[in-house]
Amino acid sequence: MDKAMVLDLSEALGRADGDRDLFLTLARLFLQESPKEAAAARAALGRQDRAGLVAAAHKLKGSVMEMCVPGLFESARRLEELGRRGEFAEASSVCADVETRLAEVHATLRDLIAGGFPS
Amino acid sequence: MNLDSTQRLVRSSDSSAPSCSRVGTILLVEDEPVTRTSMAARLTRLGHRVLEAGNGRVALEVARRERPDLIILDWMMPEMDGPTFCEAVRRDPLLKSSHILLMTSHDQPAQIAEGLARGADDFLSKSASKQEITARVLAGLRTSRLVRELETTSDKLESSLLLLQRKQAETEADLQSAATFVQSLLPPQGSPVHGIALVWEYQPSLTLGGDLFGVMEIDADHLGLYILDASGHGVAAALRSASLMTFLRVENMLQLLGSYDPEKVLFEANRRFPLTADGEYFTLWVGQLHLPTRSLSYASAGHPGALLSSAQSPSRWLTHPSSPLGFDPAARFGSDRVVLKPADRLFLLSDGIYEVPSPSGELWGRERFQEVIDAGKQTSLSATIASCFSAARSWQQAQHFPDDAALMGLELTGCPEGTFNG
Repeated sequence: MDKAMVLDLSEALGRADGDRDLFLTLARLFLQESPKEAAAARAALGRQDRAGLVAAAHKLKGSVMEMCVPGLFESARRLEELGRRGEFAEASSVCADVETRLAEVHATLRDLIAGGFPS
Repeated sequence: MNLDSTQRLVRSSDSSAPSCSRVGTILLVEDEPVTRTSMAARLTRLGHRVLEAGNGRVALEVARRERPDLIILDWMMPEMDGPTFCEAVRRDPLLKSSHILLMTSHDQPAQIAEGLARGADDFLSKSASKQEITARVLAGLRTSRLVRELETTSDKLESSLLLLQRKQAETEADLQSAATFVQSLLPPQGSPVHGIALVWEYQPSLTLGGDLFGVMEIDADHLGLYILDASGHGVAAALRSASLMTFLRVENMLQLLGSYDPEKVLFEANRRFPLTADGEYFTLWVGQLHLPTRSLSYASAGHPGALLSSAQSPSRWLTHPSSPLGFDPAARFGSDRVVLKPADRLFLLSDGIYEVPSPSGELWGRERFQEVIDAGKQTSLSATIASCFSAARSWQQAQHFPDDAALMGLELTGCPEGTFNG
């Protein structure tokens, strides 16, 4: 999988003011925190809890923005919006998309942390 | 890493950071750790001291303790969200002037309006560029500093005002105390000796007056009288008057002069109370009434004098032109003599009682004053004196006199000849 297709590394580094160490710190934090929010969104869906779904999707969206992952950001934004509208059936499939994309991002970030930045 | 309820101080080593005058302490309130860490790092790189909190409730505690220059907070947070935090800040006397940037991905006008209505000062989009974040933070800090300066100035003004009010209250109390003392020097109303009634009214233009008067029993046959007027008003004039009053005490005159002869009293007072370096001086009228014969000898140093009111004839002034005290050390003040009749009234007065202007600027004057005295012959002495003050106030259409106004009346209460001293 091409890392550039999953996240915009150049933009992500730009958000970190070009500070690679900061970016790696943020990436590790993202790996640690984002699964919690994805799990919280899934659980809220199970409970048909609109507020819980909105809160979890919103928080995930915020961290995704820092990682500059356009596809995942759009899915998280959509999930938040569906949660706000209480459209749980569609939200369930979007949540699955979020989980898939999140796994891809995690894999990409782990590679980056382990292998360093591409030259 | 869990920073939800923590704060930290981060220092910048970035040479592109703004100068010290443009950096400040910023409280960053965000529950999402990645966003918070990213934003904190950026602000730190800009040279700011960054405090962090993971929700509004913790942020309130930090804000109260640290008084940050700027608060940047997320809209959606657990426990206490951004708008609720803004409302709490605006209700808090210590924090209410804090500058708040509400950080949100909400950019719809209705949500921005809600945020502003609930207490935010500005918005910061989470997707804003580094340049925009820098500009908004600097603008927020600038505003915050201006507000702080205003608050400091306002606090200093308030402190100064309180200090002034306290000092003024102390001064007022001192003046009131001095006024009470000066009033205690004035003769008691009633009957200084058998066969003579004494009534007076005194209205200083300020708390303390410079016009003073006295009635004293010199010996079994003689009554001493005087009225003095110090130029100027207020504390200085009152102190100078009290000094002359002390000089005019009977014991002092008898010791110095061997008598209370008005001519001698004025000569000595003139010698001892020269014109001051500031050009201040006294006018003085002194009289001595021989009680068995009702013979009044009197002399004046520039004082408008006394008015004698008799039942059978028009009132007349007991004075003649002379200079005030202190103008010429060798000056002599000639005395006159008049024999009073039973029921006569003698009024000693300061010019402040009749030199009152109407709203158009016309003075009430001696003649109108004299008319009130003459019109009051059939009324009591106190009623006549009250009528004079009332007429003067009506003329000037004001209660407060522009100069000290003193009017003392003595009445020979109709006792048979030769019985005044009982």
